[in-house]
Amino acid sequence: MPIISLPYSYLERLTGADRDTIITRLPMMGSDIERILEDQIDVEFFPCRPDLFSTEGVARAMQGFLGLKTGEEQFVVSQSDVRFTVDPNLADIRPFIGSAVIKGISLDNEAILSLMGVQEALHWVVGRGRAKVAIGVHDLDQVRPPFRYYGALKSRSFVPLDFEEEMTLEEICSVHPKGRMYAYIVEDKPLMPLIEDADGNVLSFPPIINGELTRVTEKTRNIILDVTGTDLRAVTTAVQILCTTLISAGGSCEQVSIDGVTWPDLSPTERTVSVSECNALLGLDLSASKIAQILQRMRFFAEPKGDDLVYVRVPCYRSDIMHDWDIFEDVCIGYGYENISVELPPTATIGQEHPVMKIATTVRGIMAGMGFCEVMPFTLTNERVMYDKMQRPRNSKSLRMLHPISEEQTIIRTDLLPVLMEMLQMNKRRELPQQIFVTGDVVEGEVTYQKVAGVSIHSGADFSHAYAAADALMRELGLEYEVQESDDDAFIPGRRASVFVSGTMAGVFGEIHPAVLNAFDLDQPVAAVELDLRVLEN
Amino acid sequence: MALTLNEKLLLAALYEKGNGTPEDLGKIINRDKDAVIQYGYLLEDRGLCQVTREVAVSYVRTLEGEHYIKDGLPERQLYESFDNSIPVAELNNNPLSRIGIGWMKRLGWIAIQNGIITKTGDAPRSHIEAALNNPSSKDPKTVQELIKRGLITSEESISYTIVITPDGEKKAKAGLDLREEVGTLTSDQISSGEWKNLPLRRYDITKRPRPLYPGKTHPYQHLIDEMRRILLDMGFTELYGSVIQSGFWNFDALFQPQDHPAREMQDTFHLAGTMPLPDGWEAIQAMHENGGNTSSTGWGGVWDPEKARATVLRTHTTSLSIQYLVSHKTPPVKAFGIGRVYRREAIDPTHTPEFEQLEGIVMDEGVTFRHLMGYLSEFYHRMGFENVRFRPGYFPYTEPSVEPEVYVDGLGWVELGGAGIFREEVTAPWGVTCPVLAWGLGVSRVAMLKMGLLDLRELYQSDIDWIRKTPTHSGREKKDGGEC
Repeated sequence: MPIISLPYSYLERLTGADRDTIITRLPMMGSDIERILEDQIDVEFFPCRPDLFSTEGVARAMQGFLGLKTGEEQFVVSQSDVRFTVDPNLADIRPFIGSAVIKGISLDNEAILSLMGVQEALHWVVGRGRAKVAIGVHDLDQVRPPFRYYGALKSRSFVPLDFEEEMTLEEICSVHPKGRMYAYIVEDKPLMPLIEDADGNVLSFPPIINGELTRVTEKTRNIILDVTGTDLRAVTTAVQILCTTLISAGGSCEQVSIDGVTWPDLSPTERTVSVSECNALLGLDLSASKIAQILQRMRFFAEPKGDDLVYVRVPCYRSDIMHDWDIFEDVCIGYGYENISVELPPTATIGQEHPVMKIATTVRGIMAGMGFCEVMPFTLTNERVMYDKMQRPRNSKSLRMLHPISEEQTIIRTDLLPVLMEMLQMNKRRELPQQIFVTGDVVEGEVTYQKVAGVSIHSGADFSHAYAAADALMRELGLEYEVQESDDDAFIPGRRASVFVSGTMAGVFGEIHPAVLNAFDLDQPVAAVELDLRVLEN
Repeated sequence: MALTLNEKLLLAALYEKGNGTPEDLGKIINRDKDAVIQYGYLLEDRGLCQVTREVAVSYVRTLEGEHYIKDGLPERQLYESFDNSIPVAELNNNPLSRIGIGWMKRLGWIAIQNGIITKTGDAPRSHIEAALNNPSSKDPKTVQELIKRGLITSEESISYTIVITPDGEKKAKAGLDLREEVGTLTSDQISSGEWKNLPLRRYDITKRPRPLYPGKTHPYQHLIDEMRRILLDMGFTELYGSVIQSGFWNFDALFQPQDHPAREMQDTFHLAGTMPLPDGWEAIQAMHENGGNTSSTGWGGVWDPEKARATVLRTHTTSLSIQYLVSHKTPPVKAFGIGRVYRREAIDPTHTPEFEQLEGIVMDEGVTFRHLMGYLSEFYHRMGFENVRFRPGYFPYTEPSVEPEVYVDGLGWVELGGAGIFREEVTAPWGVTCPVLAWGLGVSRVAMLKMGLLDLRELYQSDIDWIRKTPTHSGREKKDGGEC
């Protein structure tokens, strides 16, 4: 989740409350406090609330939460004659662009940092790392409309941000630090998205880098936004959040016409929600007017419509409100989670163990009773441990991860004995004798099931020991069994046997082959047993 | 108290020899050296002998060190990899250059000028090489260097010398009764009555016995079983299911948007092949694209059934809860599961790519958010967390959502899991009309809190000594229960 830095002085000024009040209430508004510093507080908000990624947005919500300023904030958008044209060639490259003009702002350092913060968070959360949405903020007074968003040749050049000389788009992709990070999004396309003004000055090479020309500084008074992307809804959300943030920072918003469509649309959406549905969900008994009052504090416009309905206008920046229940959650937050008295419902049910878990518990008792200590190793392993070191053929039913995190963990275990051998290796320096067991999931094909395995390592760990353990396990499980000479090369020939129950092979036991001991760097004999617990299913 | 036979035997041997090592004395009295040390200390307590303990340090080469004995140290290998001179840039291509160049320079084997490395002579055998061959504490600086470079480790060995004191000599001179005492009684001695005339050896109760380590369940399994018991007591049905899931059940059915980063190969383990979609998948498509028949707008965009067919290792046990719900639509349903889940994270002290998750759901007529908080409070109280509070939370598949926190002395409020009511977008496609309360909890986090663990790996790659020494029960505790 994005971490937002909130400078106290700016936050206090915008909110109209002191920092201690704000810090105390932040967690109950849904924020995790990361750290409290001398002059700022770093907080985390949920990814569904990009409107809280700026000091301005947090102040707006906090004012309502503290009851200092309630109801919806008005966002006025006035006319302008700034126009954009969009090149149809971009349809398969980066089709959507949104924009707006913000005038009359004075961006002090704190406001610029806040703007950069919200931009960064939007890139990450809404923009999916700029692939879905990328944002450019420009000094409008350095360029001349109309603007053109078009597909440019890679040989086109301009001076990118933080550089002094012109570079071609191709060079930017391979040399510029931002190019190296984001070029993958567009570099396989025949044309590169580019925004330029009436005189051919480049504003931006989305989603990679802005031009140096339109850099925003403390002297900037008028801004033009470019928000490009592959998803219209996400582009719209980003434009709405940027515009409302900048309006809250003191700017005034003006329209932009993009191929005849007017941007931005900052009008609220409407919902009429049911009081009884809200109360049924939350377990509260709130009246329509109480719900409306709470929603006003959550910065909605809300008024009761009769006893069971509340009419709500949802501000454009609340892109998380997808469903009536999202409104009810805001009612709950506004009511205060800490004010809800908890209650257990009278639902009468009878608990029931899962049969597989019941068996596992029984098996644990038997193994522990025989003196084995339980271990709980990873289910992710690799073919060297699972098969090669065990002198066993690789299992075609083992599942391989497409992008393993390390060479140690490339497949899901199909057997338990090998992971026990690895545990013995890890504990080689610990006092002997050691007797360990594991019971847990293995996966073959797409089938998950449980096995149990146990090993003993000490100077007297031999076939008789393994046989005795296997015999005791089968007896305690109430299973009649037969044995047959096994051909499992993990064991010494003549000291190995397969366990059969009703004609089906269910397990194996014996004395581990010295070559396997060598492979696991062990220097004492090991007696081992492994059993497929499906044998207990009827 | 009288001397035991063993003490008397040792004293007699010492009287004869004056002093000795436990090994030598052990041979005389036919006991192993550890026993001799023990008797020695007992005699020392009575002022009859003196035990001197000396620690000697010796050095053992690591695997890497052994490797270099064979192939030469990196600086030596690097030195031999070129003739008289070589550009630094070129030598940098050699993987050994990072360690080797600095060392060649420190040892004066090379000079570097204008980016060119030139040999200064024929590189005599360095003190490091000599010390690696025969590490000795006589050259502590070089030995420390080798330890720092990970080429050797130091091992301590302890030796003992036992010397008789004048009091001991006096006592031995006065004569010792060396008649054999009886240790373990035989069956014959017991049944014949012979025991009446035997000198029975006295044992020293001030010495703790050699530890006996019983077989037992893993301390972490113990905690898991405690949670299972609590939920079974609360009337929940236990779930168990496959760790292999389709993207559909792991993500789509839980209203996770298809472009959510958590679904990508970066965060989720994907497996080869695809899995079938269940009947009724079209309702999920509608829900994602436009909210279906609910008041939801959906995520918009296009929902791709191919993406839902992807095979993944489950990232949460909620994939089991939703499937259980789909096949058990009649209220009431109360179910829980504890199982391994998988996230593509590198292993470090606080992250493992697989860990246990606890998952609980309650579906019934008229259950509410307040009841969800009730279940959570009850569960955490039974887990021994007395103070529980609730804060707003966010999870893609619940609304409203809540993050329960428990108060832990020394840590303050600690977030412990997440919960909420399944969104209508999750339940409506299957015709589930009652509210579904749901919560999840990282069990290993609780283990860290309850067992004071600092490193999660201890749970999965356990040191057997840690399991042996972690008690099964946490000592005296308050009992609440149906006392009569």
